[in-house]
Amino acid sequence: MVLRYDVEMIAVTKRYGETLAVDCISLRVPKSSYCCLLGPSGCGKTSTLRMIGGHESITEGDILIGNINVAGLPPARRGTAMMFQNYALFPHLNCLDNVAFSLKMRSVAKAERNKRARDFLDLVRMADYAARLPAQLSGGQQQRVALARALIMQPSVFLLDEPLSALDPFLRVQMRQELKRLQRELGISFIHVTHSQEEAMALADLLVVMESGHIRQIGTPREVFERPLSEFIARFIGGHNVLPWKSGRIAVRADRCTLGMVGDCPRVTGRVAVIEYQGPVVRVALTTDDGGEAAALVPDQLFYRQSVGVGDLATLSWPAEAAHELAH
Amino acid sequence: MAGRQHQTDAGLVRVHGQRTMTFLNLRPSLPLQRSKSEPFTIALPPRAVSWLQVAPLVLILLVFFVSPTTLFLVVSFFDYDRTGLYPAFMLDNYRELLASPATLRLYGSTLKFAVIVWAITLFLGFNIAYFLIFHVRNNAVRVVFLLLCAIPFLTSAIIRTIAWIPFLGRNGAFNQALMALQLTSRPLDFLLFSDFAVIVSYVHLYTVLMIGPIANSLAKINPSLLEAARDAGASPWQAMINVVIPLSKTGIALGSLLVVTQVMGDYFVVRQMSGGQSASIVSALSTEIQAMQYPPAAANAMVLVVVVAVMVAFMMRVVDVRKELVK
Amino acid sequence: MEISSTGARVGDERPWTFYALAILFGAFLVFLYGPMLVIYVLSFQGPEGGVTFPMVGVSITWFVDIFEPGQMANIPVSFSRSVALATVVSLATVAMSVAAGLAFRRPFPGSGVLFYLAVASLVMPGLLVGFGIGLGFRFLGLEPSLFTSALAAQLTWTLPFGLFAMFAVINRFDRSWEEAASDLGASSWQRLRHVTLPILLPGVLGVAMMAFTLSYDEYARTTLTIGSKNTLPLEIYALISSATSPTLFAIGTVTTAVSFLLIAVTLLIVFRTQRRRGLIPSG
Repeated sequence: MVLRYDVEMIAVTKRYGETLAVDCISLRVPKSSYCCLLGPSGCGKTSTLRMIGGHESITEGDILIGNINVAGLPPARRGTAMMFQNYALFPHLNCLDNVAFSLKMRSVAKAERNKRARDFLDLVRMADYAARLPAQLSGGQQQRVALARALIMQPSVFLLDEPLSALDPFLRVQMRQELKRLQRELGISFIHVTHSQEEAMALADLLVVMESGHIRQIGTPREVFERPLSEFIARFIGGHNVLPWKSGRIAVRADRCTLGMVGDCPRVTGRVAVIEYQGPVVRVALTTDDGGEAAALVPDQLFYRQSVGVGDLATLSWPAEAAHELAH
Repeated sequence: MAGRQHQTDAGLVRVHGQRTMTFLNLRPSLPLQRSKSEPFTIALPPRAVSWLQVAPLVLILLVFFVSPTTLFLVVSFFDYDRTGLYPAFMLDNYRELLASPATLRLYGSTLKFAVIVWAITLFLGFNIAYFLIFHVRNNAVRVVFLLLCAIPFLTSAIIRTIAWIPFLGRNGAFNQALMALQLTSRPLDFLLFSDFAVIVSYVHLYTVLMIGPIANSLAKINPSLLEAARDAGASPWQAMINVVIPLSKTGIALGSLLVVTQVMGDYFVVRQMSGGQSASIVSALSTEIQAMQYPPAAANAMVLVVVVAVMVAFMMRVVDVRKELVK
Repeated sequence: MEISSTGARVGDERPWTFYALAILFGAFLVFLYGPMLVIYVLSFQGPEGGVTFPMVGVSITWFVDIFEPGQMANIPVSFSRSVALATVVSLATVAMSVAAGLAFRRPFPGSGVLFYLAVASLVMPGLLVGFGIGLGFRFLGLEPSLFTSALAAQLTWTLPFGLFAMFAVINRFDRSWEEAASDLGASSWQRLRHVTLPILLPGVLGVAMMAFTLSYDEYARTTLTIGSKNTLPLEIYALISSATSPTLFAIGTVTTAVSFLLIAVTLLIVFRTQRRRGLIPSG
């Protein structure tokens, strides 16, 4: 049987006592893909990740990893490796011993396991820090060591729990690129939990948006951004206006909107409430006549040619095909 | 490229010159081996594991704490005479005990000490803990000060108590210092072998029991709470009453518990330092035990246990100690 | 900009309360250590001197006296008994407290009862516990002795202390270290041995040291459960009742020095290890 999916979740539910954390979700992660689980706090994304990794039990449903049903298997026997949010480096072991830990648990001889550990420290450019303790490293350095420690197990699926949240913005972008490159080179699937839509869109081949224990949309980042299925997704993914239209609601990308009337294009009117300079664009938000909010991202040069002030009456227009109907 | 390439077991290939992550060519995954040192394990429900882990502790406490307590509950109802004990169920021991004015005096005296010592150690303990946590800024200095307070506690209480004798006696260091400074022309008599001496000893021994728990509680207070109070216009005194003291309730309760029970259960300090003028409940008890009068001693013990239990229960009602300690 | 706990900016003038409390603290330290200094000084009392001032010459006769078994007291023997008992108590306390502390990490039926039982054992006056155990032994026809009844009596005192200390230690333990260990292939035993215990070790050492000193100085519980062979505190008490001489102070000086050394060494080890592991902030 040809392996088409690295991970398959079938009608998986997770209950903590009375609380329903994950409600009957099904997901298929294709081979060698970068999958991001995106959602607000409490949506169940971390519980899902931990169930795949074996750190939480599955209340109902099945999880297959590499076509093997892993229910009941301990973390070590699933072919997964996890990178924890706080890295969880053992404070009493130096970097080399941290990385070599999994080999020591499998009774690999000391000389050989230290050699392999050094190779992986080399891989993450931390070879010089082999003798240091985690407390002596910066956040970014600790993360590299945590990476090496997980990868030395040669997992078939790599699980990451908000790996970039603790880093400062510049480092975040750098590490993001390295993670993506690593995933392509290793050819295994990464499942990456995050609450940052920017991060998820930059990294994912497969974007999974979750809310309240359900999966709300699955698709490529482009699909989700161009055609959000519901109001929640449109608002969460950002950069969209959600407006009442005819008998339902539509989502329009803010960067597709222009200030002012444009021919026969659909439009809303209102008063300018906020003008926010963002560098390449200026965000102009209106309070619409019916009390809602709509914003446009206006290229800066264009904006400064007009004279728009807070409190002015204004109109927002968009091309008809840019509007996308939302489900109820 | 030979010089640049570097083959290792994992098939690493280093890319020449670039400051990027090195690329990795893995051989087909090694099958995950079963951990060799994993013996045949029985999967136990977590509850059973917990029970097994507490079993030795529970055993010791049951056999050597609960049963002896039950034992002297039983013995307190026995009859006795000079030759031995007679199992019986009579309330005579209790009647004699509770009717005797000596008992009342004894309990009164001990309780008096307990309350006075509690008040003094609370005052000292709280202020010192506050000083150490909120006024000392350097972490290392704070640790040193805390250790300085704690170290004497760990040396023999007996020796620390008798050390007061040469200090407070008529020819003692304190009196000699007072006379040298010409604050008094005759040595002060009340310093030693008096209630004063007893209280001084208790405070000396047990203040650290207040400092510890209170400092622990104070350290948990988020400093930004005090800043917020300051912002809202609270004077330092108001901040103390409305923020600091309520948040350190647990520490105060714990410290009070420890100090009061120590004083109630003491018999050495009173014997030594009061010069025979006062006695403590437990010292009276030990006299009876030495005289082999077990049933009345047991009755006395039971009454003491009940009194202490009531005091402890009251203190733990005020503050839920368990919630604080066990997260 | 550094902000101190009172909300003041560092570099601000100290409020008057700082000086008042500092003086109070200083006075307290003098109060605490004053009598101790008296002991240390008087232990060097001359051979003709008594247990109070004035000092009649300076000598170490009383230190020498410790090592000669007199009719009233035998210090070296009782000292070794104290040490032996304290060691056993310390090891037993550590083993049982660590296990029980780990158990309390998850709720289990009876945990509440056990907690209050420990509190009860802690606050029960020591003499009563000793009395109860001694009585029990006599009823059963057994002779109370050092490593049976006395050991058990001291354990009722050290175990609650150990348990509560372990609560504090385990609170600081991050569960994700154990999860990472499982993830990396450790079995339950391997996880305990290679991750949980090594990380808890400094805290455990603290518990061991505390249990040792509690046992070493213990008097009330031991006196009724020990039979005829005394530990050091009991020996000292016998000395006090019979004849007070500066030997007592010499003993005091020596025991203080021993306690101090023990504590200093243990704390140094613990502090160094925790600092290296980044579990104590250095600033």
